[in-house]
Amino acid sequence: MAEVKTREFNRASSLSIQDPQLRRALQKVGTGFDAARRENIVEVTPEVWEQWRERARQIKLHTLDRLDYYLDLLEQRVSQAGGQVHFAKDAAEAKAIVSAIVQRNQVRMAVKSKSMVSEELGLNRVLESLGVEVYETDLGEYIIQLAGETPSHLVAPALHKTKEQVSQLFAQKLGVPPTSDIEAMARVAREVLRQKFLQADLGISGANFLVAETGTLVIITNEGNGRLCTSAPRIHIGITGMEKVIPSLQDLAVFLRLLPRSATGQRLTSYVSMVSGPRRSEDEDGPEQFHLVLVDNGRSRLLKDPDLREALCCIRCGACLNICPVYQKVGGHAYGWVYPGPIGAVVTPALTGLKDAKDLPRASSLCGACREACPVKINLPRMLLHLRQQLVESRDPQQRAEDGGEKLLAQGYAAMMGRPDLLGLARGIGRVLQAPWEKQGKLEKVPAPPLSLWTRSRDLPSLAPRTFHDIWEKELSRAPEVQR
Amino acid sequence: MPLRYSAEMADAGFPGTPKAQFLGAVRQALGRVSDAAQIPYGSAVGDPVELERQAAEARQRIASRQRELLEQFAATAALRSWKVFRAPALEDALGYVTSLAVALSASKVVRSNQEVFAELAVDAALQHRGVQVIPVAQSAGRDRAQLREEMASTAMGITGADYAVAETGSVVVLPRRGLSRLVSVVPPVHVALVRPQEVVASLDDVFLLRRLEYYRRGGDMGSYLNFITGPSRTADIEQTLVVGVHGPKEVHLVLLG
Repeated sequence: MAEVKTREFNRASSLSIQDPQLRRALQKVGTGFDAARRENIVEVTPEVWEQWRERARQIKLHTLDRLDYYLDLLEQRVSQAGGQVHFAKDAAEAKAIVSAIVQRNQVRMAVKSKSMVSEELGLNRVLESLGVEVYETDLGEYIIQLAGETPSHLVAPALHKTKEQVSQLFAQKLGVPPTSDIEAMARVAREVLRQKFLQADLGISGANFLVAETGTLVIITNEGNGRLCTSAPRIHIGITGMEKVIPSLQDLAVFLRLLPRSATGQRLTSYVSMVSGPRRSEDEDGPEQFHLVLVDNGRSRLLKDPDLREALCCIRCGACLNICPVYQKVGGHAYGWVYPGPIGAVVTPALTGLKDAKDLPRASSLCGACREACPVKINLPRMLLHLRQQLVESRDPQQRAEDGGEKLLAQGYAAMMGRPDLLGLARGIGRVLQAPWEKQGKLEKVPAPPLSLWTRSRDLPSLAPRTFHDIWEKELSRAPEVQR
Repeated sequence: MPLRYSAEMADAGFPGTPKAQFLGAVRQALGRVSDAAQIPYGSAVGDPVELERQAAEARQRIASRQRELLEQFAATAALRSWKVFRAPALEDALGYVTSLAVALSASKVVRSNQEVFAELAVDAALQHRGVQVIPVAQSAGRDRAQLREEMASTAMGITGADYAVAETGSVVVLPRRGLSRLVSVVPPVHVALVRPQEVVASLDDVFLLRRLEYYRRGGDMGSYLNFITGPSRTADIEQTLVVGVHGPKEVHLVLLG
């Protein structure tokens, strides 16, 4: 599996906030894709949008409740079309399956269309260890492959990079002259990868949807690399999470309306490619072998928990990332694994273990924007709270010790609030102690804890000269409109 | 017929979890003990008679609105960055395609083998202007590798369309003899010829008709189905739109009739 660095969330997010290049790259997150998404909702009208969301959600929930049935149907129909379905319970199995396909067919070069599951499994390293030349062909993925990084966004993997950084990277790795022209950068990728498409033995893609009834893999792309990866090489491996299945072709339309609009604000992407098995004998071209690898890798844990099951409805559009005030500030890498943002904060703990990822459910103000933006209405804030509750109720001693301190503090606060005399005394002492740092009603940069923990990054309103209680007593309660 | 795996190959013992065991684990996670296959779900497995009825209705609805849908398709396609050319007569279409090839200084173009080319003598018109036309056909005695190399060096790919979707401005291309998947994606310019009878109203229409076709053909979808909606694009660097990455930068739609 891809390396899990969720424990470092606090440190990594602090570093992210201080990184000026990243700050600049993230500036457009809230205004680019998300603004376009909202324009689309106005265009189709909020009423219609809501109907689409509800229908999509119902299809997903229906399918998840009968997932065994639909996976069974999918396997039968893919086989009927001449393809082969493989089931992988974890990352190790998925990698072993791909390795076996590679070795049996003596694959030497692979081209890849964007796949988050491939990132989750760390598939490129495995292929390279088998001596396979691997090329990511989605422009964003190609950039991060050259940089030796992981994606920072579900649909725009190199979102964290400025064009200057990309230009530098291309100059350094590909020996092309530096440029500030983004079009020229795209042209470089086209030229470099064009030959690879035609030479590769193996094309690897993910799947946005799998249609059980017809055994069809659906990928939604813009660049054309997905079409090339699934058409030119002699073998195609589709690798994806088992939750991507939907019942029938006729269920697909609503998702094609929702996904591009939610992801990049497009009405439809340039390409929707639907693959059902390998080439038929009458086809002019297309792969001779089609393998579909369905991966569990922790998803059945989400399925099992009724409070978290709906996370499997996710269609990976990234709308919850774009709108999230935390993601907008810290970017994707801080989340420490493959899936960032609010959905990552739910999925990552479930797939990699909550113990090491306990800061993720806390990295949210619970403002609810993600839930509003989600095209399948996943109640992310509720699940984040659920995970926080699991943490509090866990039997992990270290966790209990941390929570113990918080509990004590809350009890002290409750006791004080219940006794006006005690509260008044504390307020009086506070007024005296705060004097040296008070400036225009605010406390700034208090030198010692516990207040310094707060004031090092923001101001704290100081204790006011008069209490509300006092103002009420002497003035407000005597005002004529209150007496009436 | 699909190239099927022999039983031998299927049993060649790939690593991974056997299906029954995998589905058993899913069932267990769902907290059910019953056999999954017994769960009835009418609409995942379509009833061909019902689908026939719905499809007949849809075709009638589309036919009665053909002019209107054609206008909508042309307008939507233009918004999705197709260069739309309306050709009232066949000569107009031929004129457009040839002048395009000449403007590109194309010495070679590649075209797929679809019905529309029986109506429209594209080859003769292009050859008359000194442009070589490579038709995609196995019978031409070329192997795949050769065709591929040729395709990579052509300036323009010409295809017909199986459906033109008014809702989205998309052209749908299905596989058939003489149609390479690569014609519409490898050359830097793609020209799609669309006849009025290919226009449908919505994505729902396409999926209804294909679903019916799946059952009519005894459970075969054909190896692929592509929706093409405008040129190849990316916004992977600074969310800035760039047209023309791995697919064509320029896409033309010639609307006949």
